[in-house]
Amino acid sequence: MGGGKNPRPFLKMHRTLKFLFSLLCGIFSVLAVQAQDAAIREKLSHAILAEGAEQPKLVGELSDTGSKIVREVLVAWTRDNVFLYDADTVKIPVLLEDQTDADGKARAIRIDNGKFLLDDKKQELRFAPTELTSADTDAALRTVIQQTLDSLALADPDPDARENAVLKLGNSKKLKNIPVLQARLAKENDLTVRRNINEAIAMLQLGDPDPKVQVAALQQLAALKSIGSLDMVKSLAESKTAAPEIVKAAKLSAETIGEHIAAVNFFGTIFRGLSLGSILLVVTLGLAITFGLMGIINMAHGEMIAVGAYTTYVVQNLFGSGFAFSINLPFSFFGHPLGFGLHLPGMNSTGWFYETYFIFALPLSFLMAALAGLALERSVIRFLYRRPLESLLATWGVSLVMQQLFRMVFGANNVQVSSPRWLQGHFTLNDVLLGYNRVFVIGFAVLIVIGTWMLLTKTPLGLLIRAVMQNRDMASCMGVRTARVNMMTFAFGSGLAGLAGAFLSQIGNVGPSLGQSYIVDSFMTVVVGGVGSIVGTVYAAVGIGTSDQVLQQVTGSPVTGKIVVLVCIILFLQWKPGGLFSIRSRSLD
Amino acid sequence: MRLFSKWELIAVGAAVLLMLVVLPCLNAFTLESSWLHVSNFTITVYGKYLCYAMLAISVDLLWGYTGLLSLGQALFFALGGYMLGMYLMRMIGDLGQYHQPIPDFLVFLGWSTLPAFWKPFGSFPFAMFMAVLLPGTLAGIFGYLAFRSRIRGVYFSILTQALTYAACLLFFRNSLLLGGNNGFTDFKFILGHDTREPATQRGLFIVTGIALLLVYLVCKWLTTTKFGKVQRAIRDSENRVMFSGYSTANFKLFIFVLASVIASLAGVLYVPQVGIINPSEMAPDKSLEAVVWVAVGGRGTLIGPILGAFAVNAMKSWATRAYPDMWLIFLGTMFILVTVFMPKGIVGLPAQLRDVYKKLTARKMKVEPAPVAANGEEPLPAKSE
Amino acid sequence: MKKHLMKCLAAMSAAVMVSSHASAQDTVKIGILHSLSGTMAISETSLRDVLLYAFDEINGAGGIKVGDKSYKIEPVIVDGASNWPLFAEKAKQLLEEDKVAVTFGCWTSVSRKSVLPVFEKDNGMLFYPVQYEGEELSKNIFYTAEAVNQQATPAVDYLLKAGKKKFYLIGTDYVYPQTTDLILYKYLLLHGIPAENIGGGFRKDDSGKVISAGKYVPFGHTDFQQIVADIKQFAASGDACVLNTINGDSNVPFFKEIAAAGLTAADCPVVSFSLAEDELRALPTKDLVGELGCWTYFMSINSPANKAFLKSWNAWLKTQTHPGVVKEKRAVDSPMVLSYDGVYLWKAAVEKAGSFDVDKVSAVLEGGVVFDGPGGKVTMQKNHHVTKDVFIGETKANGQFKILETFPQVYGEPFMLKDLDAKLAAK
Repeated sequence: MGGGKNPRPFLKMHRTLKFLFSLLCGIFSVLAVQAQDAAIREKLSHAILAEGAEQPKLVGELSDTGSKIVREVLVAWTRDNVFLYDADTVKIPVLLEDQTDADGKARAIRIDNGKFLLDDKKQELRFAPTELTSADTDAALRTVIQQTLDSLALADPDPDARENAVLKLGNSKKLKNIPVLQARLAKENDLTVRRNINEAIAMLQLGDPDPKVQVAALQQLAALKSIGSLDMVKSLAESKTAAPEIVKAAKLSAETIGEHIAAVNFFGTIFRGLSLGSILLVVTLGLAITFGLMGIINMAHGEMIAVGAYTTYVVQNLFGSGFAFSINLPFSFFGHPLGFGLHLPGMNSTGWFYETYFIFALPLSFLMAALAGLALERSVIRFLYRRPLESLLATWGVSLVMQQLFRMVFGANNVQVSSPRWLQGHFTLNDVLLGYNRVFVIGFAVLIVIGTWMLLTKTPLGLLIRAVMQNRDMASCMGVRTARVNMMTFAFGSGLAGLAGAFLSQIGNVGPSLGQSYIVDSFMTVVVGGVGSIVGTVYAAVGIGTSDQVLQQVTGSPVTGKIVVLVCIILFLQWKPGGLFSIRSRSLD
Repeated sequence: MRLFSKWELIAVGAAVLLMLVVLPCLNAFTLESSWLHVSNFTITVYGKYLCYAMLAISVDLLWGYTGLLSLGQALFFALGGYMLGMYLMRMIGDLGQYHQPIPDFLVFLGWSTLPAFWKPFGSFPFAMFMAVLLPGTLAGIFGYLAFRSRIRGVYFSILTQALTYAACLLFFRNSLLLGGNNGFTDFKFILGHDTREPATQRGLFIVTGIALLLVYLVCKWLTTTKFGKVQRAIRDSENRVMFSGYSTANFKLFIFVLASVIASLAGVLYVPQVGIINPSEMAPDKSLEAVVWVAVGGRGTLIGPILGAFAVNAMKSWATRAYPDMWLIFLGTMFILVTVFMPKGIVGLPAQLRDVYKKLTARKMKVEPAPVAANGEEPLPAKSE
Repeated sequence: MKKHLMKCLAAMSAAVMVSSHASAQDTVKIGILHSLSGTMAISETSLRDVLLYAFDEINGAGGIKVGDKSYKIEPVIVDGASNWPLFAEKAKQLLEEDKVAVTFGCWTSVSRKSVLPVFEKDNGMLFYPVQYEGEELSKNIFYTAEAVNQQATPAVDYLLKAGKKKFYLIGTDYVYPQTTDLILYKYLLLHGIPAENIGGGFRKDDSGKVISAGKYVPFGHTDFQQIVADIKQFAASGDACVLNTINGDSNVPFFKEIAAAGLTAADCPVVSFSLAEDELRALPTKDLVGELGCWTYFMSINSPANKAFLKSWNAWLKTQTHPGVVKEKRAVDSPMVLSYDGVYLWKAAVEKAGSFDVDKVSAVLEGGVVFDGPGGKVTMQKNHHVTKDVFIGETKANGQFKILETFPQVYGEPFMLKDLDAKLAAK
């Protein structure tokens, strides 16, 4: 398969970088070891080994240490990465180093003194994570750990972490947290965090016995447009026991915050619409070529998307532990059941190099889908250029066959594709949530559209494609090798579908029927845009995406939104039967 | 003009005899142990195929004869099914899980009385009336809009697909009060007969057979009239027909409504035989399946769709049992091969083979081979653009 | 020409009608009725596999002993193809043509509803293994599945105890989520959660009675941006959780969106009722640590019975030659184990009854057959449901559940709505 073709240069680079990386890791761990605070470490290990009700108490006591080690260990603990080494009489809590040797084993760092764990002969012991039992946590303990981490996080160098910690304290409804926050406010320089601290303080002050403080807090919350406090403010506004001036102030604040939420929803909807439109565009662009330009009603388009998604899955596994499959056939040969299998060893990479798998997966998805498209064009489609409506049936057959093949190779279940770190997470802009993957898809869509446009208009191949698609016979007469151009065009369109699949693997499921969920929408988009017009497809995708999200917001139900969009499309096509950008032609049939 | 040639008459007569007399009799009057016995299971399965055949005829009437590839025929099929399904649900009475006078799913959706639009469906004639009226009206409105703005070819196909997809989503909603995803099932009585009794199933089978025969005869007659000629002219060159002064939109509208009613009747007969109707019956791929039956059987003929519906579904029934893991591959491959190499389907196969034979013998006689239409490059009317 | 065609037709009909009646001596046919293709294949294929395993295990141990004879199991596998009328057809075929002694099958409620009349008519026997909404009781179906009080309400009990005050209901728009959410809505009201703290929206009938609670998406929905943004706002004020009845596929985009929006289990845990180990394999579990699940079996149960079961299952997988059985990266989950339990419950009943006769076996089953399965002791009840242990677990990075709490031997109660209504009215 594609990934295994030329692994050497990658591997070499991989090794060098890995060396540098481990060097850095080493330096940091040395620093951490040097900065150890024996007392804190002792306390930590004590807490980990403690049992019953004592444990949460001990963990809670760690919150005022402000130590980096504590944070590191506590985070590792919640992720089951703190292990217990059974040394005859006592248990020693340890962490495993990030760096592993060839057997996947790593040195163990003792939590109680920060040194490596040694055996009787003063040799460093090495373990694989599976060889050790991890220190258990349960939900109650993790809540305490989380609280401890939050207090620690108030002093975290990362503003995002501080922000989260502040919000949590704000929701705690404990007045005793106000001084903690005020102390932090005095030291805080980051503007967003300052705002959040103010919000948290105001939220806590809502529980203050003094009505004046409460009213001031309400006004403060309104000024801060605090969404998180809406519930509390509302309950005050509807409260029958609170003083009238508080109820009045609360009503006012609730209104202001409500308006803010409406604005956030408005802009959020626009962004989500754009992102959905971009997804639709990425998914549809390949079809705009195979169906729009070439006139093939390509029902196997969805499966080309799935080819791309599965390629991403395989590439991910090659970067990880490898990929294997085996198939049993329902036929036997002289009593021997027939079957075959394949095993591709993985690179077992970790860390940032593993995260780059997606960058390699993108071109490979394009390639694999393009190859599949090529095979499909040569074997089936080329017989059907003059019978477009029948291409629908043949390609539907292809789609059924491919789905079942996916099922046999990859199993009927969805497979796991995890996003690289740099595609996860989000940032907020005035309370509007912008996911990185969503921003990425918008950029990705723009790039693909530009790429396609360049290919079609600025390259000799593009010229040939346009010539053949406009008039196959005429182009053929002029000496264009139409069969080849057809083949290339179909492969290109399929390749684009493959790219879409690679992206979809990041936001949705990867399974045998992946393509089916997009096929109807894709056709709709091409038709609304105008068959044969790439620009039309772009407008249609963004338009449909945005209206879908707007209607979903307005009607409050995803299903109703979708039905309304479909009905609108049907009505729209009555008005403009050729779609948004119909190709004008004087020819009749 | 004569409707049938002598041989055609014999063939159709034989099929009618087999389906309407022989099979039911073998089912009813032979012992179960006898090798002649036709099991109840076979009767219900064949009854199902007969309904599919009617659906296939309705697709062919549009596609094969008028050049309109509708990807939404399953919608009308399912609508018909739903109308009768509502009647059948009313007939359950209080024999459901909850022993309430309203259908079970309404009970656990929190209803205690019957919603107003459910009430008239206690009457069979009303349900039948609605089974004609609703699909007919929907087809009428949709067709009027579509044909007026001259939507044709691929556009028409995709649009009908959008329609059935929207309807499918709508029917999946529980708030429509038509059972949502579960649809209607667990029927008990139709016109006072227990739907689960073999005798009732046999009766339904015979009724379906008669209905199919009638539909076949009506379509046969229609296609031989002047109307049928215009219809085919529209398929081959709509503009020329228009320039000759015919209002093609009206012709197409009539055919579309007629086809929708046929599909709906097929659905009406289908539901009591299979015992369930739910929105997945109107999912886009069901309509595609019906188109495939027509393609496999041979479009532009009336026997073709019937043959296709039987052949594909019989194969599906067999393969889902014999090769549960591979059958989709067989089925898909069959579609590809038929589309690419047998553009006229099973019906066209003898002629195709004859051509090949002629070609071979012609070569032997060292005469220039006649042009042959068997390589799949045959110029059939291209309806896109 | 048409004559040929008719002949063809007749020949074909004949070919289909002649079904083989060949059966070897001393075997008993058992039907497996699951979707091996179509949208539901994703979940149901695993059940086919575990059933084949159970049959092989029983055959290897000498088969089923009835009287002084022992019978080997001959599985009859049919594909329902995620097509509900086809399920009914296949059920009829299994019962009338193959004359199977018992059938194990169905996943979705609609497939069960579709075959139910067939089983009642032909007096067959069906074992149904997947958590469902209840509100049904057929004399021909044995529900080894979790009823709502063996899954959803224990999970809510747990969350209430953990101090959660706001509950967001989300599900796929079909009967199981609708019914479960309605039950949960009433259950939450009963436990003092005000209606405004139950998120997702309500639908009321003309009289103002709530007939549907929660947010619903269509099958195969992929775009959860709006809903997750909604949840994020809902959870902004803390102490919130999500009760998730989204079905199968759609969970993947839902959780990927949850992860992207930075909603962690620490802020707002999601408890999923249709997501077991088998489905977790498709999810980025690293980002889902701490999300909750509630089932009557977890692969991580630390009991000798479970360990032996897993070991033997993995050994069986390695040697499998049945087409379509995937060998790599397999997981075991509750529906699979409940299928397996069903086989042994049936076997025990048959051996006790000394007959394969449906009525006799039914009578024995209703009398309370017991089987010590991988998930602990299961007992068939008179109402065709099963008493079993219920576990609350949270997901770990490796795709397994860590058991947080066990509710031992919970009695399966299919009809909850009426009871809740009465209690609410009394309140």
